[in-house]
Amino acid sequence: MRETPDLRDVPIFKHLDEDERAEFEELSEPMTFEAGQRIFEEDAPEGRLYVLTSGTVEVFKKVLPGRRQRLATIEAPTVIGEMGLLTEPRAAASVEAMTRVEAHGLERDRLLEMLDADSPAACKLVYEIGRTLAERMATTNETVAEVISRLENTAARESEDIDVCRDQLVQNWSF
Amino acid sequence: MEETLQGVRFFEFLTEEEREEFAEASEPVSFGPGENIIEEGAEQESLFVLVSGTVEVRKGLSGGRGRLLAEIDASHGRTVVGERGLLGESGASATVRTVGEVEAIRIPRETFRRMVQEGRPAAFKLSYRIARTLARRLTRLDAEVVEAIRELENKGETDMEAFRDRLITDWSV
Repeated sequence: MRETPDLRDVPIFKHLDEDERAEFEELSEPMTFEAGQRIFEEDAPEGRLYVLTSGTVEVFKKVLPGRRQRLATIEAPTVIGEMGLLTEPRAAASVEAMTRVEAHGLERDRLLEMLDADSPAACKLVYEIGRTLAERMATTNETVAEVISRLENTAARESEDIDVCRDQLVQNWSF
Repeated sequence: MEETLQGVRFFEFLTEEEREEFAEASEPVSFGPGENIIEEGAEQESLFVLVSGTVEVRKGLSGGRGRLLAEIDASHGRTVVGERGLLGESGASATVRTVGEVEAIRIPRETFRRMVQEGRPAAFKLSYRIARTLARRLTRLDAEVVEAIRELENKGETDMEAFRDRLITDWSV
């Protein structure tokens, strides 16, 4: 029997009705990732959005040569790859399973077709994604304002200040 | 009112029928010089499509100083302010103040959310558009941040002013 995800537990699917959730459940492909396995590779194509129903993943990026900068640790239930749906299908960061991860993949192209056809389920999903991005933008705005403040206060830019500034940019990543 | 929306470039992505839905949901508003359309920190209740006039986007930075982030002229380029508030819950991240007389179209958040609850395609199309704008801006900011971190690490001839200017363009209020 094919395993179907319980999308009710995933925040961005919470406001969909049973039929709409069933539509996504029907479309999704169950997948399992073992600890250490890459789900997204930075700069590689991001053709799917994944609904994670169990497990933990780490998001990281090659910011400086030879160093892996951890941006976030995310626990299921959640969705990853939503930025690729709305912008270019290219991963801005790598995502790696830290534990065994149960996920359900939704093809980006299929979702875009649904949006083109004004599918209520897809429209609602994007509305919910938009709401999370609006909050993420609010956080990013505050970080950017703080960085601008620092840059403007640091007339004589001592290297110490630059270190503080750099650390802040890294820590407040809006992933 | 329909006629007003017809002439506004921002609504061109909607069908005629959907524009009519927004014409019903929106209202024309006029502001005098120096009025705050959106106030930093306050509940953000509407999206505004600027039809004519100029506004300034200002942000209070730590130390109590206000900084000019952008000047938006309705006659060219971007004409929408407050789009983030239509989807999000956090208060406005900057103040939008009129420079001279400003004519705008206001879409109240409450009306927009009622349209979403009613499953109206026009509202979903607008939210899709806003979501894409936010996603693009976030992606661009992240790329700027990576670039800045690399430059800061090199402690080289980083042009911090240029970096700062790139950070503040295209602010999502």
